[in-house]
Amino acid sequence: MRSRLPRNLALLILLARALPVGAQTGGELHFCLHGEPKTFNPILVDDEPSENIRYLTGGVLIRLNRQSQALEPALATSWTISRDRRTITFHLRKEIHFSDGTPFSSEDVGYTMRMLMDPETHSSTGDAFRSGEGSVAVESPAPDLAVITFPAPIAGLERLFDQVAILSAHSPKKEMAVLGPFYVADYKAGSYILLQKNPNYWKHDAQGHALPYIDSVRLDIQRNRDIELLRFRRGELQLINRLDAEQFDRLQHENPAATRNAGTGLDAEELWFNQSPAAPLPEYKKAWFGAKEFRKAISMAINRGDLCRIVYAGYAKPAYGPVSPSNHFWFNSSLEEPKYDAQAALRLLTQAGFRLENDTLKDRAGNRVEFTLVTNSGNAAREKMATMVQQDLSQVGVKVNVVTLDFPSLIERMTRTFDYEACILGLVNTDLDPNGQMTVWLSSGENHQWNPSQKAPATPWEAEVDKLMREQAAAPTDKGRKAKFDRVQQIVAEQQPFIYLINKDVLVAVSSNVVGAAPVVLNPPGFWNVETLRLGPAPDLGAQR
Amino acid sequence: MRARIQIIGSQLLTLAALGLFGGLLSASLVRFAPGYGVDERELDPRLSQASVEAIRNSHRLTGGLLSYYRHFLASALQGDFGRSEWLERPVSSLIKERFPVTARSVVLGVTLAWATALGISLSGLFFRGFFLDISGTLASSVLIALPTAVIAVFSVYLRAPVFLAIAVVMFPKLFRYLRNLLAEAYAQPYILAARSRGIGRARILFQHVLPLASPALFALFGVSLSMAFGAAIPIEALCDSPGVGQLAWQAALNRDLPLIMNLTLLITLLTVAANLLANAAHERAL
Amino acid sequence: MLRGISAVILCVIFTAGLFAGAVAPYPYTKQFRERVNAAPSASHWLGTDSLGRDLFARLVYGTRVSLLLSPAAAFLSTLIAGVLGGFAGLVGGWCERLILAAADLSMALPLLFVLLALRALLPLNVSPLVSVIATFALLGLLGWPSSLRVVWATTKNLRNSDFLLLARATGCGRSRMIARHVLPNLRPVMFAQFWISIPLFVLTEATLSMLGLGVMEPLPSWGNLLRGLEDVSAVSTNPWRLAPLIVLMVVVVCFQLILPTPEETA
Repeated sequence: MRSRLPRNLALLILLARALPVGAQTGGELHFCLHGEPKTFNPILVDDEPSENIRYLTGGVLIRLNRQSQALEPALATSWTISRDRRTITFHLRKEIHFSDGTPFSSEDVGYTMRMLMDPETHSSTGDAFRSGEGSVAVESPAPDLAVITFPAPIAGLERLFDQVAILSAHSPKKEMAVLGPFYVADYKAGSYILLQKNPNYWKHDAQGHALPYIDSVRLDIQRNRDIELLRFRRGELQLINRLDAEQFDRLQHENPAATRNAGTGLDAEELWFNQSPAAPLPEYKKAWFGAKEFRKAISMAINRGDLCRIVYAGYAKPAYGPVSPSNHFWFNSSLEEPKYDAQAALRLLTQAGFRLENDTLKDRAGNRVEFTLVTNSGNAAREKMATMVQQDLSQVGVKVNVVTLDFPSLIERMTRTFDYEACILGLVNTDLDPNGQMTVWLSSGENHQWNPSQKAPATPWEAEVDKLMREQAAAPTDKGRKAKFDRVQQIVAEQQPFIYLINKDVLVAVSSNVVGAAPVVLNPPGFWNVETLRLGPAPDLGAQR
Repeated sequence: MRARIQIIGSQLLTLAALGLFGGLLSASLVRFAPGYGVDERELDPRLSQASVEAIRNSHRLTGGLLSYYRHFLASALQGDFGRSEWLERPVSSLIKERFPVTARSVVLGVTLAWATALGISLSGLFFRGFFLDISGTLASSVLIALPTAVIAVFSVYLRAPVFLAIAVVMFPKLFRYLRNLLAEAYAQPYILAARSRGIGRARILFQHVLPLASPALFALFGVSLSMAFGAAIPIEALCDSPGVGQLAWQAALNRDLPLIMNLTLLITLLTVAANLLANAAHERAL
Repeated sequence: MLRGISAVILCVIFTAGLFAGAVAPYPYTKQFRERVNAAPSASHWLGTDSLGRDLFARLVYGTRVSLLLSPAAAFLSTLIAGVLGGFAGLVGGWCERLILAAADLSMALPLLFVLLALRALLPLNVSPLVSVIATFALLGLLGWPSSLRVVWATTKNLRNSDFLLLARATGCGRSRMIARHVLPNLRPVMFAQFWISIPLFVLTEATLSMLGLGVMEPLPSWGNLLRGLEDVSAVSTNPWRLAPLIVLMVVVVCFQLILPTPEETA
C-alpha cells in the first residue's frame, strides 16, 4: 500500500501556502476615481484620475514621503546635484525588473527623460523641468548610474523627480510595463480599472516581506459623490479619497471611526476682480477694481468665519494668502491676519472716495457700486460661498449679482474675452514649492488671473513681484528663496489682487478594515502609503465586487 | 410595388437628409456657443506658455465649420468617425462601448412600461374591474407628476437599475393613451355586436380589439422609443450610468465637437426613423 | 366634484405665489446664519436650508417663478405650434413636409444641448429675473414640436371637412375663411394643448434645474429647491425637504384632474 504521507504532506504544504502570511495580506482595495483617466502614459499625465493611477503604478527615482514631507530614495539609492545646480547624478538600485520582467537600468532613465523633454510633448510634468532654452542631456555611463544635465539651473530640482515615473526603453508592453507597486491588469472604459500586485516590485518591508501587502486595487469610475458615499456606507468601497465637507459631517455622526480629517490642506478658494485693460467694462468699474483700497475693503467685509462654519461645516480655515499654514516651510507666519470688520471696510471705502447713501454705496461720480460675481456651476460649495459673499457685501452697500456658468464658458471669459467683473475659483495646489506657480505670479504669465499675459508690468508692485519671483528661482539656498517669497506674500497681502477666502481641510473616509491608513494633507491623501496598507480581519478579505 | 419602393426610398432620403442637417445644426451650436475651444488644462499653472499655446491650437478649427463637416462626413463614410477631444479616444470605440448599455436600458424600460400599461388596460377591460382601472389611473397620475430627475435620484437611492427608471417615466404617459385607445376600440359597434353574440372576452380582446388598434399602437411605439431616448440623457447623467446619454451630457459640458456631432447624428437618425415608422403605421390606418 | 377641488387648490397656490411678498414672512435671500439646517419651528414653518434661508419663503417665491412663468412659456409654445401647425395643415405640399421635418428634428435634438449653449450666450449683467424669464422663453421657443402635430392633424381634418368645402364653393375668400372658420375651430384644440403644456413645462423646468441648467441661484424655483433632494439619505433626517416636491406633484395632479380626457399627448 502506498504511503499516504507524500500526499498529506503535499496537501499540508498547499494549505500552508494558501493561508495568508500573518493573516493580514492579500485582498482587494476598492475605491473610486472621480473621472475617466485620459492616459496611462505617465509622461502625458495632466488630470487627477491619471495622476492617481500613475502614483499607484509608477516607479520613481526619488519619492516625496507624503507624511514627513521629506525626500526618500526610491529607485535611486542616492543622488548628488552639481554646484551649478544644472546636473544631477543618480546611483540606481541594481537587480530591478519591470512588471513584465524587463530589466531596469540607466538606459530607461535616459529614455524617460528624453521622452519627457521632447518639444512635442506638452505635459505639466515635463514643463516643470523646462527652466530655459536648450535640450536636456542624459548620460548612462554605467547601468546603475544616470547623469542628467539641464540647460539652466532649476529650483527645487530633486522634488520634481517625484512626478517622473520611469518608462521602459525596451519592453514590448511600452508604458504598461511599470516599476511601481501595482500594474494595470484590466480596464473597462467608463467602468473600472483593475490593478494587480506587481510581482517584481523592488520594495520590501523591515522584515523582508515583499510589498505591497494587498493583492489588487479596483478603481471604479464614479463621478457622482452621493453615489460614492452610498456605496461606502454599504461596505462596497473601503476608501473615499476626498470627501465633501457636508458628506464628511454626516458620516461623522453615523460612523466616526471611518472619518479622518488630515488637517488644513493646500487648496485655496479665492475671489478676484478683473483688472485687465482689455475688459469690456465701463471705465468707472475698472477704476474701482484697480484701487487697492477697494479690494482691501471688500476683503475685510467678507466674513470668512461664516464661510468656514456654514459652507464647510467647520472643516476649513480662513485664508489670507497664497500659502496655506500647513505648508510649514513656505508660509509667512509674520503676516498679520486681518479680522472681519464691516465697519473698518466702510471706513476704508469712505477714505477712497466712496460714500454710503441709504444703504447703497456710491462712488465719487455717483455710480452705484454693483458688480457681477461669476463662478462655475456644478460646484455647490462655491455657489454657496458666492451667495454668502453677496449678503456680506450688502452690509457695506455693495450690490452683488451671482451668476453661475459652465466651466468652458467661464474659462473663455477669463482667458479670451475678459468679459467678467469678479470671479470666485479654487486654486489646486499640488506642490509645496511656490516655484510651480511662476505663471501665476509673473505679470507675463498666463495664469496671472486678474490681468494675464502683460507685455510689461502694469503696476510697480507687479514689477517688484516679477523681480522677486525670478530671484527666488535663481537663489542658491532654500532660506534665500524663502526670504524672497515671504516678501511676495507680503505684497499680496497689501495689494489683495487675489482675495483669498478659505483653505479646505483634507477629508478622507476609511473603512475600519483597512489597517495602516494615515491620511495626510498632500496628494493622494488616502492611499499615499498603499504599499503598506493591509486589509484587516473583516470577512471581506478577498476580491470585492 | 413600384409606388411602395418610391415611398420607402423618399422616406429614407428624408431620414438621411434630416440626420445630416441635425448633425450640422448641433455642430454649429457647439462651435459658436461660448466656451468652444477652451480647455480646462489652460488653467494649470504648471504648464508652460508653449504648452498652453499648443493646447489652444489643437482645438482650433482650421478652415470653416462647413469644410470641417464635409471632411467629417467623408471620413465617416470610410468608417472613421473622428476622435473625441475630451476623452482622447476614437469616437467609434466610445460609442461601441456605451451604446449597448443605453440600448439595453431603453429597450428593457420601454418593454416593461408597455407590458405594464398594456397589461393593466387589457385586464381592466377583461375583468371590467373598477378597482384595477382606478388604481392604474391613480398610479399614472402620481408618477407623471414626478420630474424625470427626481425619478432618477430615487432610483439611485433604491439601487434600482436604469431601465426601471426609464420604465417609470414612460409608464404613465403610455398608460393613459393606451387605456383610452383600447376603451374606444372596445366600444366600437361591431365589437359590441360580437360581445352580444357571446364571443368570449379574451377572444374579442386579442382577435378584434388589438388588431383594430394596432396602427395607432405602432405609431405610439415609435414615439415612445424616441421619448425613452430623450429621457435616457438626464437619467443616465444623474445615475452615473456609462451609456450614450451620459456621454452626450458630458460632451456638451466639455464642448467636444466630434463627439457631439456623432452623437447627434446617431440620436437624430434613431428618433427620426422611429417617427417615420410611426407615421407610416399611422398613414396605413387612415 | 374632483374638478372643483382641484380648481380651488390651484387657485390657492396660484394666489399664494402671486402675492408672495405678502405671504412669505421673510425675503427669500435672507440668510439666518445662526439657524442653518433648522427643523420646522414657529418662526420657520418649513425650517431653513443649508445657508439658513427660510424654506417656506423660498417655496412661496419659487411657486411664483414656476407657476407664473410656466403658463407664459406654454402660451408661447402653443402660439408657435398653432401658427406653424395651422399653416402646415392648410397649405399642405412641401411646406407641410418641411414644417413636419423641422418638428421631428427639434424633437430629436437634445433639448439639453441647446439650453446649455443658449444660456451661456446670455450677457452677465442681467438681473436674475431677466435670466429666469429668458430661460422660460427658451423653453417656450423650443417646446412647440409636441403640440404641433395635434394642431396640424386637426387643421388637416378641418380642411377636408364639409363646411369648409361649402365655404370654398360659395367663393369665400382665403383670409376670411381662415379668420371666420378655421381659427374658431382650432381654439378648443389650442386651449387643450395650452393646459396640457403647463404641467409639462413645470416638470421640464424641475428636471433642468436639478441638472443645473434652469433657474439660477439665488432665485428659487421648484426645480432649484428640489436640488436639495439629490442627497436622498439626507431626506430621511430632514423630511420637510420634500415639501417642494409635494407641492409640485399636487399642482400637476390638479392640472390633470381639471382637464377632460386628454387628446393625443405625443
